[in-house]
Amino acid sequence: MENKGNFNGVLIKIENFEGPLDLLYHLIGKNKMSIYDVKIDEVADQYMEYLSQMEALDLEIASEFLVIAATLLSIKSRLLLPSKKDKELNEEEIDPKEELLLKVLQYKKYKEFSQILREREDYWSASYYKEPEGLEFDFGQEDLNIKPQELKEVYVGMLKRNSLKRNNKAEVDMVKIIQYEKVSLQSKIREVLRSLLHKPWVKFTEIFVGKEKTRLEIITGFLAILELSKLKKVELFQEVNFSDIEIHRLDAFNEAGSDAIYDEKNIG
Amino acid sequence: MDKIVDIKNIERIIEGLLFAAGEKVSLNKISEVLQKEKSVTKTILGNMMFHYNNSSRGIMIREINGGYQMCTRPEVYEDIKVAFSPKQKGGISQAAFETLSIIAYNGPVTKPKIEYIRGVNSDSALTKLQERGLVDEVGRLDTPGRPTTYDVTDEFFRQFGFASKKDLPVLEMEDIIGGD
Repeated sequence: MENKGNFNGVLIKIENFEGPLDLLYHLIGKNKMSIYDVKIDEVADQYMEYLSQMEALDLEIASEFLVIAATLLSIKSRLLLPSKKDKELNEEEIDPKEELLLKVLQYKKYKEFSQILREREDYWSASYYKEPEGLEFDFGQEDLNIKPQELKEVYVGMLKRNSLKRNNKAEVDMVKIIQYEKVSLQSKIREVLRSLLHKPWVKFTEIFVGKEKTRLEIITGFLAILELSKLKKVELFQEVNFSDIEIHRLDAFNEAGSDAIYDEKNIG
Repeated sequence: MDKIVDIKNIERIIEGLLFAAGEKVSLNKISEVLQKEKSVTKTILGNMMFHYNNSSRGIMIREINGGYQMCTRPEVYEDIKVAFSPKQKGGISQAAFETLSIIAYNGPVTKPKIEYIRGVNSDSALTKLQERGLVDEVGRLDTPGRPTTYDVTDEFFRQFGFASKKDLPVLEMEDIIGGD
């Protein structure tokens, strides 16, 4: 807006356009041309003038402006060729001039609507909305129905898992620590499918949480069931938060042929 | 007579529900509470909205994209402003407005399609709209590269006073072929 230049007696406001289509629309309007009857050569000249104006003012010209400039020049050069060429023009071929003007027309519609949006915002943004009440609902206390024996089992299981994680022979087994483990999603998907071959459903902990399963394996296993669920091969159920996840085989599991899933290309 | 009592009672429930919610309540939810058909609920709500509008109240009920919410009437804004000093939101740029227009009519829509229509890069406009909560990512296309698709949010309907996408003015662009 600030940069104004006098060029060929026409005062051009620079940096006032949202893009090449906006500029084109402005030029067509300025010349009082109907969008259906645009003298493309005149518009092309003015467009180029505008670009050199920008250049003279040392403004950076966005590449999009140059693309349209090239299109305009190509259309203009076409006009200079003998007109009989036009008649030979294949019916199905899209006229680049028409295509460009259609884009301008389309752009203009949205630009006009953006003006409507501005006006509507002025009015409607003056409405206030109340924040939600801090309504407290009773979500129901869940009674823990655990036998002392179960509690003990969980505790012992936890201790066992922890002792397995610990590398007791750290000095001797130094290599093990830095060993890079490779667990692929594909291999885990296969593992899930394999365990579902003879059973309608399995628990997640059955296949992925065991003594030799590392965290990486468990996480990849989790990704694997998500992927299978997305492919609609399995359905996942979880009763309450943090409970075990049940992986149920879906009908499509057999129909589509589980072979197809083994194909790595199918796994997005 | 019973029918009128019934409707009055329903209106009372809806009013209380919308007031307590303080956010958009979906038509489904309201119907569920009332145990009425959605079409019945919708008619009653339409009636309520009409009465709110015609009895010079400071509060109105608005339809927002499949749900309903209470808000103050824009007409009392100046007076509310005297009591409180509301934060002024920064305006959004012309680029953002144009991008928003395109998303409103074409959403869910990908960024390349937006840029095709505008003829210019729309990265920052899109980011700004997301920051303002007017636009959000809604999914991904199942085409190569799985491009993200964007659509307008409830906030868009609130800010610009549209009840739903059907409420957007017809752009008379049937003859205009979309991008791609």
